[in-house]
Amino acid sequence: MELVFLAELAANGALTGLLYSLFAIGLVLIYKASSVPNLAQGGLTMVGAYIVLALARDIGLPLWVAIPLAAVVMFGFGMGIERVALRRLAGRPIVMILMMTLGIDIFLRGTTLAIWGGTSRSVELGVGYDPLFIGDVLISRIHLVGAAVALLLFVVFVLFFRSRLGIRLRAIADDYMASWSVGISVERGVGLSWGLASIVAVAAGVIWGEIQGVDQSLSLLLLKGLTVAVLGGLDSIFGAVLAGLILGILENVGSTYLDPFVGGGSRDLIVAAVLILTVMLRPHGLFGRQDIERV
Amino acid sequence: MTQAPDKEATNILSMNSVEVLYDNVMLAIKGVSIQVPKGGMVALLGSNGAGKSTTLKAISGLLKAERGRVSRGEISFDGTVITGLPAQRRVEMGICHVIEGRRVFEHLTPDENLEAAAPLSMNRATLKTEKQRIYEYFPRLAERKNSQAGYLSGGEQQMLAIGRALMTQPRLLMLDEPSLGLAPFLVAEIFSIIKKINKEEKLSVLLVEQNALAALEIVSDGYLIENGRVVMHDTAQALKANSDIQEFYLGGGSGTNFHDIKHYSRRKRWLS
Amino acid sequence: MFYRLSGIHHTNYVSDTRLYKIPADRNLALFLLALGLAAPFLVGSLYLNSYMLPWLVWTAAALGLNLVTGWAGQLHLGYAAVMAVGAYSAVHAAKYGLPWEFALLIGGISAAVIGSLFAFAALRVKGLYLALTTLAMQFVMDWVLTHSPAISGGSHASLQAPTFALLGQRITSDTGLYYVAFGWCLLVTIFMLNLRRTGLGRALVAVREKDYAAAILGVNSFYYKIVAFATSSFIAGVSGAILVATFFFLAAPEQFSVAVSIQVLAMVIVGGLGSIIGTYFGVALILLVPGVVNGLVAEGAGALGLQLNVESLAHIPNAVYGALIIIILMIEPLGLGKLYGNIRDYLRVWPFDQFKK
Repeated sequence: MELVFLAELAANGALTGLLYSLFAIGLVLIYKASSVPNLAQGGLTMVGAYIVLALARDIGLPLWVAIPLAAVVMFGFGMGIERVALRRLAGRPIVMILMMTLGIDIFLRGTTLAIWGGTSRSVELGVGYDPLFIGDVLISRIHLVGAAVALLLFVVFVLFFRSRLGIRLRAIADDYMASWSVGISVERGVGLSWGLASIVAVAAGVIWGEIQGVDQSLSLLLLKGLTVAVLGGLDSIFGAVLAGLILGILENVGSTYLDPFVGGGSRDLIVAAVLILTVMLRPHGLFGRQDIERV
Repeated sequence: MTQAPDKEATNILSMNSVEVLYDNVMLAIKGVSIQVPKGGMVALLGSNGAGKSTTLKAISGLLKAERGRVSRGEISFDGTVITGLPAQRRVEMGICHVIEGRRVFEHLTPDENLEAAAPLSMNRATLKTEKQRIYEYFPRLAERKNSQAGYLSGGEQQMLAIGRALMTQPRLLMLDEPSLGLAPFLVAEIFSIIKKINKEEKLSVLLVEQNALAALEIVSDGYLIENGRVVMHDTAQALKANSDIQEFYLGGGSGTNFHDIKHYSRRKRWLS
Repeated sequence: MFYRLSGIHHTNYVSDTRLYKIPADRNLALFLLALGLAAPFLVGSLYLNSYMLPWLVWTAAALGLNLVTGWAGQLHLGYAAVMAVGAYSAVHAAKYGLPWEFALLIGGISAAVIGSLFAFAALRVKGLYLALTTLAMQFVMDWVLTHSPAISGGSHASLQAPTFALLGQRITSDTGLYYVAFGWCLLVTIFMLNLRRTGLGRALVAVREKDYAAAILGVNSFYYKIVAFATSSFIAGVSGAILVATFFFLAAPEQFSVAVSIQVLAMVIVGGLGSIIGTYFGVALILLVPGVVNGLVAEGAGALGLQLNVESLAHIPNAVYGALIIIILMIEPLGLGKLYGNIRDYLRVWPFDQFKK
């Protein structure tokens, strides 16, 4: 196969991968602060996109007002979820916490679809659809915008975790008891991480909504987001970005070569295989920290 | 918040017959009364499971994290009753608890450990001078301030835990077993630093120790806790001279054999 | 009053390890058994077929998951895939001409073999990572199912099940199918009730609490994990086969999708980890309540003269289903079984415990 084609696959794969990272950053934020794997991130992403749509389409606000407003609403919403549902489960077995986030995911999906219906709508960001050539390589504009947003958020969060508030969040992630003992409010910190993850969900929802339409399929990003987060190490934002790139390229190039042999649809298979292999071979991912269990 | 009687004004902390329940059923301490004078240094001695750590957690409010609560009695700090306040509020008031087992934030650097503990209201300049102050007390930390705290040695981690507590601007510092698992010369070093901080900053200290010998060297008063009750309270001098204390906590004394100890414990248990 | 009990007085080990230590519990169980047997004569065939039968089969399946998740503490998000293995093997075997008894057995065994693959993941990781691995394995199984026409039955991806028959008797009546489901559920329930009295049950609990502490005590946790996965997969496989044979009548991949895995886990957790009676409640709640609520909403809206569009109505059951999970976990993370236990404990010495205080 020719080199340009391969480059094109890789480049577009990388951009798509960064969009997975965008989704995965939300997972990482919550996991980092509270070791809760938020399986409701797909549902949150859907809600975020629908709220932007409701503000922009149904009320008629311009997008540059609607998106920040949705981010504010979702920040509060995320903190609310943590306060109402997750806080009382702290210290319970992981299976209950997983089930709670799954329940929230199902509830959010059901509710948004019951309110707004399942017909796919577009956000209409105003990014052109005409192809963009860099050299000979064809690149989708919206993917480029999305990748830029992902990288921007990455930089923002890296800086945030160096700030005093960010250091406190990292301290909470390390040791709850020690955090309480020096007057850090663990509850508020974990709530904050949910709020931030919900803002990330708005960003992911808008970009993905533009690419594939705002509908139920947004919540299907969960498997890919999870794979990226796990491959990156679950608590590393840099890991999530790098893992996104890896998975995106692997998926795009791999499925192109694999599809003719298995009759199509090998993307999901590659993602699932990467998830299984990561967990089996290197559970703490590329950059995750390894914790020691004691008897 | 009610104002406590005037006679307690000289005490920064006073605990009156406090009972603690875990999970609403297990009585961990049964009526403990302790006073810490302003600027004073007091030790809480006792064996494993006697209720020393629970007492500290009752004062710092960390009980709640372990599903415990104060079911009777009253704790007042500097004349204010704090029995029902959340832990965070108590830290703001000036109580800081260095919990057992040097729980530093392992994935943060020592520098970040100190910053995490500083109140958010503290401005950057003060933060810097405060960190400097801690590094002066613990020069070893200054040398390693940018490496990961999880890789510090045991002694350094203990110093960091104490330094981190000092960043919260406490007026009462509570230390839970700072000597645990440390070499004797490190224990001596840490204790002398604690003494120095106590003297220079008029910081009141409540020290929980199993290593009674080292503790009694630096404190003025000591309480002895057994089975969740205070069984003895005296000055450090008197405690060191007490023959029972010598026998059971200082490892000295004469004519001890295993049979006697067992017999003594059994008798004590019947009485309590 | 109800239990006529004033303390538990066991004078020998035999009485202490009895299945029902309290006579009232045994009587209640016998009463429920009689009710189950009499159900075809008590409720109409619509209720029997669309509520009772799926409830019992799903309960049997959920009990299998409870074995591996509640007893052995291994998270499993790929349970529906294992059910699918059982269902498809059994249907293929039956189509091939084997009698259904053998087809069910083949379904159970092939599910146990494939299901044990999940155990190898459990040997390596646990907790969240095990959940993610099993989830990924579910996706792989789904993919294999939809992408191999030989298994899923051609271009329509649906596989007609031959008429169910036992001992050469074709079973087509509602009552007959109900008794098949009832019998299987009873069998699994009796197995699970007795499991906790055996060494296997205790070993599984030890593995759940701390696997390598159990290993230090001489419990071979690898062995017991595989046993747990194989046993639960067998139950899953047969349940999946019976579900297709008596309820769906044809096998399709979406009957065993990842959403179904999550649903079975929800049944187990809402019911209560490690609780048998709770599993019955949990399945009833998750399976039946969303539909009932939807009916009520539609009726209520009709009564109020509100216009609900069809699409909204279609999604309300999902919202209710999610809300049920959230609410139960908020009220009592140990599930309905624990709530039942609380009530039972309260009533056990009622009204005499009023004097205790």
